[in-house]
Amino acid sequence: MSSTTGIDFSTLSLRDALDLAVLIEEEARDRYEEFAEQLELHHTPEAAKFFREMAGNEEKHRSQLAARRRISFGGEASTVTRAMIFDVEAPDYDEARAFMTVRSALEAAMRAEEKAYDFFAAAIPNVQDDEVRSLFEELRDEETEHKRMVAEQLEKAPADPEIDEEAFGDDPVSH
Amino acid sequence: MTTSSVATEAAAVAAPVFSPKDFKSSLKPIWCPGCGDFGVLQGIYRALAAIGRPSHEIAFISGIGCSSRIPGYTTAYGFNSVHGRALPIAQGLKLANPDLLVLVAGGDGDGFSIGGGHVAHAIRRNQDLTYLVMDNQIYGLTKGQLSPTSRKGLHTVTSAYGSLENPVNPLMYVMGYGAAFVAQGTPADIPGLAAMIEEAIRFPGFAFVNIQSPCVTYGEPDQQIKVHKKVMKRLEDLGHDSSDRVQAFDRAQSYGSELLTGVFFRDPDPPPTYGSLIRARKQELMASAPRREDILDMFVQD
Ligand SMILES: Cc1ncc(C[n+]2csc(CCOP(=O)(O)OP(=O)(O)O)c2C)c(N)n1
Ligand code: SF4
Repeated sequence: MSSTTGIDFSTLSLRDALDLAVLIEEEARDRYEEFAEQLELHHTPEAAKFFREMAGNEEKHRSQLAARRRISFGGEASTVTRAMIFDVEAPDYDEARAFMTVRSALEAAMRAEEKAYDFFAAAIPNVQDDEVRSLFEELRDEETEHKRMVAEQLEKAPADPEIDEEAFGDDPVSH
Repeated sequence: MTTSSVATEAAAVAAPVFSPKDFKSSLKPIWCPGCGDFGVLQGIYRALAAIGRPSHEIAFISGIGCSSRIPGYTTAYGFNSVHGRALPIAQGLKLANPDLLVLVAGGDGDGFSIGGGHVAHAIRRNQDLTYLVMDNQIYGLTKGQLSPTSRKGLHTVTSAYGSLENPVNPLMYVMGYGAAFVAQGTPADIPGLAAMIEEAIRFPGFAFVNIQSPCVTYGEPDQQIKVHKKVMKRLEDLGHDSSDRVQAFDRAQSYGSELLTGVFFRDPDPPPTYGSLIRARKQELMASAPRREDILDMFVQD
């Protein structure tokens, strides 16, 4: 459930829109890093490695957007904060699972990219400023590209083994 | 998805002094990936940032359990204490240092089994504490035993043939003892949960938030975040009047059959806190207290 609070897209300036985009990437980077740490701790190294790669991708996008912001607006103070966004491109917390396969990690990433696409697609009709609109369209289209890349990896990913996931749980024996 | 069109009030005022990240400690959570407590923790960081008090003015007390690890993951002072004893310790702390913002965290087992007796006294004493219970309807840390909020019929290691007991209803429990602020949230809606925790902290007196925080390892499939997202109903959307105690009791009965989120009851006329009564008592006694220099005379014979 992605959301923003306190942001009026109809009056959003290009500077604030860039800041918002940077924060969205930062939030996604942080979440993927958290997932990687959780899964490393819980003996799921392959999915952890995938999440680390995703964190790296998000960081790359973040720094590109941050550079654009710096070039156009220098050190002007930002009025957009992390507290105003939630789970826009970051996978939901309950997507991670101990012993998850790379395929299910990819599926979680796909759902996150879809969320981000839906976010920009829903925001665009409310945007009044032409430059902000074209930035949001660019970001939306990038999400389409990310979805395509994840889909490609999904095609190559080995199928999940046909096992009962419960067998790997540490459930009460009498269950 | 909500693309809020609310005027950007927050942007117009100066940027907040604290960000949620300021309250994140360097300790890495060891919870099972997917545990509801991860989302709750985010809600807590956000609420603390909105409250705007520095970490050294905040103390987080917990009992024992998976959820009781929360204090260690914040930058506030913390005490991961004894199973079921978070509330007495928090009360003592608040009494000793009334200026501290004291938060209490724990599981449903910690709060309503072994610690159940303390809840009544914390409520009737009405110290300014915020009590967050991560209600996953199971004992998580000890690997899936029946908890006081487990539904009747549940099969666990300690109820192999299905539990025969009705669950405790934490909302009715605390309202029954007169709690003046009672809310329920879920990590399926973290911004909503954060707002609720913030409101609970701001409430003057004992404030209780029951957080249905799913256990992905031992919890039931229909008590998971994905299900919460589908079934949760916000009290404000139901036209609930949170100042009406009778209405709050009525809606709280749905615990276990419906997932209602938001503030059930907020006393519009909050009773005095224990701290304010102590200050008043002190002033009252000071008025008729003998002067320091006269005290010695009382013990000295002419
Ligand atoms: C005095 C005492 N009795 C029992 C225990 C064992 N014990 C530790 S945590 C726990 C219950 C955990 O369940 P809950 O409080 O609901 O927290 P969760 O782990 O589900 O978050 C129990 C029985 C203990 N640590 N101390
Ligand atoms: S056992 Fe349950 S409550 Fe404990 S960390 Fe794991 S998922 Fe969370």
